Amino acid sequence: MAEAGRLILPAGRARRLPVHPVTALRIAIIVAVLATWEAVAASGLLYRDVVPSLVAISRALVETLSDKLFFWHLGTTFYEIGIALVIGGLSGLAVGIALGGSKLMEKAFEPLLYYLGPTPKIIFFPVMIMWFGVGPGSKVAMGAISCFFPVALNAAGGMRQIDKILIRVGRSFRANTWQMVTKIYLPAMRHPIINGVRLGLGVALIGTLLAETKLSNRGIGFLVIQAYSLFNMPQMYSLIIILFVIAIGANALIGRLGGLDDIKRF
Amino acid sequence: MAAVTMPSGRVAAGAPEATPGRPILVVDDIVKSFETPDGVVTAIDHVSLTVAPGEFLGVIGPSGCGKTTLFNIIGGLLDGYQGTVEVAGERVRGPHPSIGMIFQEESTFPWRTVIDNVAFPLEIAGVPKAERYEKARHFVALVGLDGFERRYPAELSGGMRQRVSMARTLAATPKIMLMDEPFASLDEQTRLLLGDKVLQIQQQLRQTTLLITHNITEAVQLSDRILVMTYRPGKLKRMVEIKLPRPRTSESVSSEAFGRYVAQIWSDLREEASRGLRDDEAQKLQRSEQS
Amino acid sequence: MSTATLAKNRWLPIALGLGSLVAVIVLVEALIRLGWINRFIVPMPSEIFLAFPRVVREEDVVSRFLLTAGEAFSASILVTLFGVAGGVLLHQFRLLRQATETWVAAMAAAPLVLIYPLYLVIFGRSATTIVMMGFTAGLAPTVLKTLEGLSSTRRVLINVGRSFNLTRSQQFWKILFPAALPTIFVGLRLGLIFALINIVGVEFLINFGGLGQLINELAERYDLAGTYASICFVILVSVCVFVLTERLERWLRPVD
Repeated sequence: MAEAGRLILPAGRARRLPVHPVTALRIAIIVAVLATWEAVAASGLLYRDVVPSLVAISRALVETLSDKLFFWHLGTTFYEIGIALVIGGLSGLAVGIALGGSKLMEKAFEPLLYYLGPTPKIIFFPVMIMWFGVGPGSKVAMGAISCFFPVALNAAGGMRQIDKILIRVGRSFRANTWQMVTKIYLPAMRHPIINGVRLGLGVALIGTLLAETKLSNRGIGFLVIQAYSLFNMPQMYSLIIILFVIAIGANALIGRLGGLDDIKRF
Repeated sequence: MAAVTMPSGRVAAGAPEATPGRPILVVDDIVKSFETPDGVVTAIDHVSLTVAPGEFLGVIGPSGCGKTTLFNIIGGLLDGYQGTVEVAGERVRGPHPSIGMIFQEESTFPWRTVIDNVAFPLEIAGVPKAERYEKARHFVALVGLDGFERRYPAELSGGMRQRVSMARTLAATPKIMLMDEPFASLDEQTRLLLGDKVLQIQQQLRQTTLLITHNITEAVQLSDRILVMTYRPGKLKRMVEIKLPRPRTSESVSSEAFGRYVAQIWSDLREEASRGLRDDEAQKLQRSEQS
Repeated sequence: MSTATLAKNRWLPIALGLGSLVAVIVLVEALIRLGWINRFIVPMPSEIFLAFPRVVREEDVVSRFLLTAGEAFSASILVTLFGVAGGVLLHQFRLLRQATETWVAAMAAAPLVLIYPLYLVIFGRSATTIVMMGFTAGLAPTVLKTLEGLSSTRRVLINVGRSFNLTRSQQFWKILFPAALPTIFVGLRLGLIFALINIVGVEFLINFGGLGQLINELAERYDLAGTYASICFVILVSVCVFVLTERLERWLRPVD
């Protein structure tokens, strides 16, 4: 079919549809998935409770969200992630700026960061336990290590893409290092830093939670493993749902606040 | 007088024969408008033209005169216009096998070698392997790239890549070649030399060609006739017959007659081009005042 | 000489980087021997180094490596099949793409690995859980990159296809797909890396499998030097895979 000059949906046609076709398809997909789920749950096809009914999951969700203890665990996890983000984020930022600012440092050390980045950090957990004990300290350490790398790499990249002229302006006004960093580097690097923080938050979340599932007696990760060991499937599903909503929501929120596109993947 | 020559015996299989003397391409009263944020814009306003078999027709106009729109319409890539386009008596309603298109941008397939690029239309037509490679080699040699069959486009220069695109389109043995500023991305010297090549090929194959360009030198060098278009809404302003003797080479560029043709066309074009410039500036001023 | 000029030297930066690493290792060794760092928390680098051959011998590292590699391979096959097919599907059906692309992007950003307890329930403590985890992690990036590659085909190449009157199927197989291959390979590489990270991680967490499990086991046995050595080994393997796939991708790319 030859290309039309401009694809203009005649105004009349658009108004005649009760709902936008995209929304309709989304709703249809969601309904289909939920219906299949319920059908599988009711049929008893998979053993025992692996696919609990939606009713059971909803009930578990409500129970979880109205349980004070849940929020205490949630608080613990948030606290761990928060501190991890601060430690890992700030050190990542510092290292990234240092590397980005000096060609020599960059060539010497950035490859280390770049090649060590995509490795499974959770394997460091036994070492973290040895160094920081079995309490929140090791979880925070896990989260901090995880988020250090994306923040540092993004910060280094961000430094490189700063328009050189801005740096020269700063130097011409004889700004000292601290002023250069706070008044020129950081503002100019807003976008890469925000993306780095998003990614960092994502991996800090993963690192901390995985550590909690491995060895902890508090936190959401612990609750998930507890649900597993008690074979409380509806509870496990409700926890996973809550986790995902929080993770995706935080990612999108940071993006919105920073004025970037909705979801940053990698 | 325009060089009207008999079409060669080479005809695309199954396509109707063009009777000698009858134009092979008839573009009749094309009107094409677009909806833009600034309202309805008429790109082409009642344009008609004919091309005789074996003729080289150049269409020249300022930027924004609808040349590329015309190119896309004739080539069957654009519809929603008034008027008709006929090739050898058949109405064009979409990309037509008798029309070969050469685009302005870099269009070789980077993942295929030169010979595979050129063999592409033959591959599509289902020509068996040995035969299609033999034919493709013929066209590769025709554009002067023999020896480069196994190379990839990334290893070639811009001018060589355009030659590959040309060979590829020629391999489909179209009745008409449509070219839209094929040398736009090349430097002047490469343009002149490639122009020589195009002339050579066209004279050898008696290939009917419609060239759309904004480069006056190019148009005069290659064409038998030139149609000058106005700025938007595009109309045909003037028809100029180029009576430079054939066979031509790029040496004719320095002749006196050549210079006179260029000057004549430039005087027409300059008026249109400056209208275009003024329009453009007025638009930009308007937009910045609105924001 | 300013640092900028020093940076231009080919070998100096690399020497500086690796040299610093060596210097840190030597420093740690010294501090431990002096008793400033507790040797029961941080084993001496020399001990770790000596533990390597021991671990390789005693813990059957080769077969463990093959096990992990096998899991990664299976996951990659699944990721390739479903990831590319998914991307093609989304590309061909515009409405479907508009409806679901954001969802796929959200999945790529979500902490998918946290559903491993769920897979434990469904598939048990087995290689299937690990492979499924790898597949789940690597799927979304592959779909997104495939979609990106197909959608960003240069307009003029599509027009060349149209000018030759290609059928929809010919247009896809002879133009869109080859043009998208470089980006698809980037997606496959990303998918593989995500899968591998998750595979090793889950092996560690559920104490089953190859290399990841090795680390867990040595840690539970309080074999300090062994634990550190196995961690270093896994890091080494991970870096090698990363570098190899990067070279492979760059080798395939010049066709661009």
